[in-house]
Amino acid sequence: MKHHDKNHRVTRRDFLRGTAYATLGLAMGIEGLPRAGKGSAFAAENPLSQVVLIRHEAAVDAGHQVNSVVVLEMLDTAMKTFTGESNVAKAWQRYFHPQDNVGIKYTRCSWQRIHVNQAVLDAITDPLIASGVPRSRVVANDFGLPVKDCTALINVPTVKVHTLAGIAVSIKNYINFTGNRSSYHFDGSAKLGETWLLPDVKGKTRLIVVDMLRPYFGPGPQINPLHQWDYKGILVGTDPVAIDTVCLSICQKKRNLFKGEEWLISPPPRSLAAADSIYHLGTSDPTKIKLTRLGWENEQLV
Amino acid sequence: MIGLWCILAGARPTKVEQSASATIQPEAGFRTARPGGRQAQDRRVGELSRAFLILLGLSLFAPDAARADENMLRLPQEVQGWNADGEDKVFTRQTIFDYMDGGGEIYLAYDFQRLLTREYARENAPRIVAEVYQMASSGDAYGIFTHDTDGQPVSVGQSALYSPGLLRFWKHRFFVRLQAEDETPKVKAALMSLGSRLASAIPQEGRKPALLEALPPQGLLESSVHYFHTSVLLNIHYFLADSNLLNLNSKTEAILARYQQDRDRPRLLIVRYPRPSDAAAAFEQFGRVYLRQSPAGNAAYRKLEKEQFAGGRREERVLLLVFEAGSRESAEKLVDFAASRMKGVTP
Repeated sequence: MKHHDKNHRVTRRDFLRGTAYATLGLAMGIEGLPRAGKGSAFAAENPLSQVVLIRHEAAVDAGHQVNSVVVLEMLDTAMKTFTGESNVAKAWQRYFHPQDNVGIKYTRCSWQRIHVNQAVLDAITDPLIASGVPRSRVVANDFGLPVKDCTALINVPTVKVHTLAGIAVSIKNYINFTGNRSSYHFDGSAKLGETWLLPDVKGKTRLIVVDMLRPYFGPGPQINPLHQWDYKGILVGTDPVAIDTVCLSICQKKRNLFKGEEWLISPPPRSLAAADSIYHLGTSDPTKIKLTRLGWENEQLV
Repeated sequence: MIGLWCILAGARPTKVEQSASATIQPEAGFRTARPGGRQAQDRRVGELSRAFLILLGLSLFAPDAARADENMLRLPQEVQGWNADGEDKVFTRQTIFDYMDGGGEIYLAYDFQRLLTREYARENAPRIVAEVYQMASSGDAYGIFTHDTDGQPVSVGQSALYSPGLLRFWKHRFFVRLQAEDETPKVKAALMSLGSRLASAIPQEGRKPALLEALPPQGLLESSVHYFHTSVLLNIHYFLADSNLLNLNSKTEAILARYQQDRDRPRLLIVRYPRPSDAAAAFEQFGRVYLRQSPAGNAAYRKLEKEQFAGGRREERVLLLVFEAGSRESAEKLVDFAASRMKGVTP
């Protein structure tokens, strides 16, 4: 991360000028920034990372109920597209083997009421088991996942703009592994990337499946229903920084639409910038990410 | 007095929030794991019980004035067919993170004291959660209310906002959130009824922060006003720097507001420090780091990115700063107007 005075302070001006968190500024659609790389955002010809976004109008109904059949179809399609396989089982076999102990780390935030939907978990576990991983070797949890015993992890977060971290998606999803969550909420939550390098965690994440059916974009800390919307999307990828960057971009545009003017996500998600430049978990440069968009296009926002 | 929160809760027993056990039922995994575990739950119950006992003890020694107003707030057992369900929960400054890990910081930044929650249930209807936050002052109750200003203004308490399935209001030293799992016409009626009953149970009105009087009324966008103390909250509403550039802390008072002046939409930030020297140090740092020019006197303005002006002036122990002004003249005018009003503000 580039710092701008002798005390390493980054100001709003640095952010707007693109001299700090530059790639985040590009993802957030701040005009006038020098682009971090060359080319259009999320359309890299030689991408460092690939992300698949799939949406379906029927995934969530008018009463905000999730359609599990549609969700299963969505994830099957996303997995086949992401892997290039024509068969769902083969797509899962790319990442998981019968001898793996697979831990599915999902997000469940009871006080904020933004949970991974059961339909999304079922759409992961059913084809995973059908692909050959024994049922007895699959465990899903938020708190208490026996990560030490896992040989492979699937990161399954929700999407929410976060009061202290800027945005919470896949990178923040591992905060429960630390045993000291509050210590990661200081200093703009910049240290969150460190959670991916914990000895029991490092190198185990094979896949990320984001439940973006009903994301949240408000100031928090608790939910205001005006700030949650039925985006009806699921994302699949392996690069947490790239995935979170796509989600950041979508949430920023939704905030702008809601207010009718630029409503910057604050604080800027330093954790995302640090996950790229300090912890080297992936890329936050939209020009180095290839996003494949599938399905429903209404208010796609990216 | 016998236990403030027993009275608040209508003498219902208290209990710690259960661990966030997943409703999601994973397949029988290669190793079973239960969130938190029984031991952890028992430990938390014990911690809260101790906290509750301490609370009782403190309440016994509460001044009469405080005792009088707090005793008046009672959560009803029933509201429009919804009945209290489960045990009430009490959270203190020490246990707020048990209720909202990752969110408690915001309430603590408003000098949060205690929280009482009660759930209401009705057959075949969404559940309702009532949260009553007691802050140290009415100014802080108003402040936490201004944290999220999106919603439809309704007439409950001293100010209230309604969003689908969510009613928020403040009165005296209390901030109240009433949230349902979902909204129906009956839910909305129940929330409004419950809110009105709670507000009526608080006999006193609280005083808004005096600093608000410094805001020039012309062009003020009412829903843009935020009152707070710390840099974490400033950065949520308007990111200024990833460090505490203005040296904000629990002893500083700040107001951020937005104005509509023709096509100009400047933001005004007023900060009151304990001492003039605090304000002077903050202004010097702001000028040096943000404007990148040390203030020559008590005022400094500069054209920044996007053809926008920022700057401000110091008046004794108060900083008046403006951002995103369309011209230096409009920036100075807004600051000067606020400074003149500041003279009439209660010290």
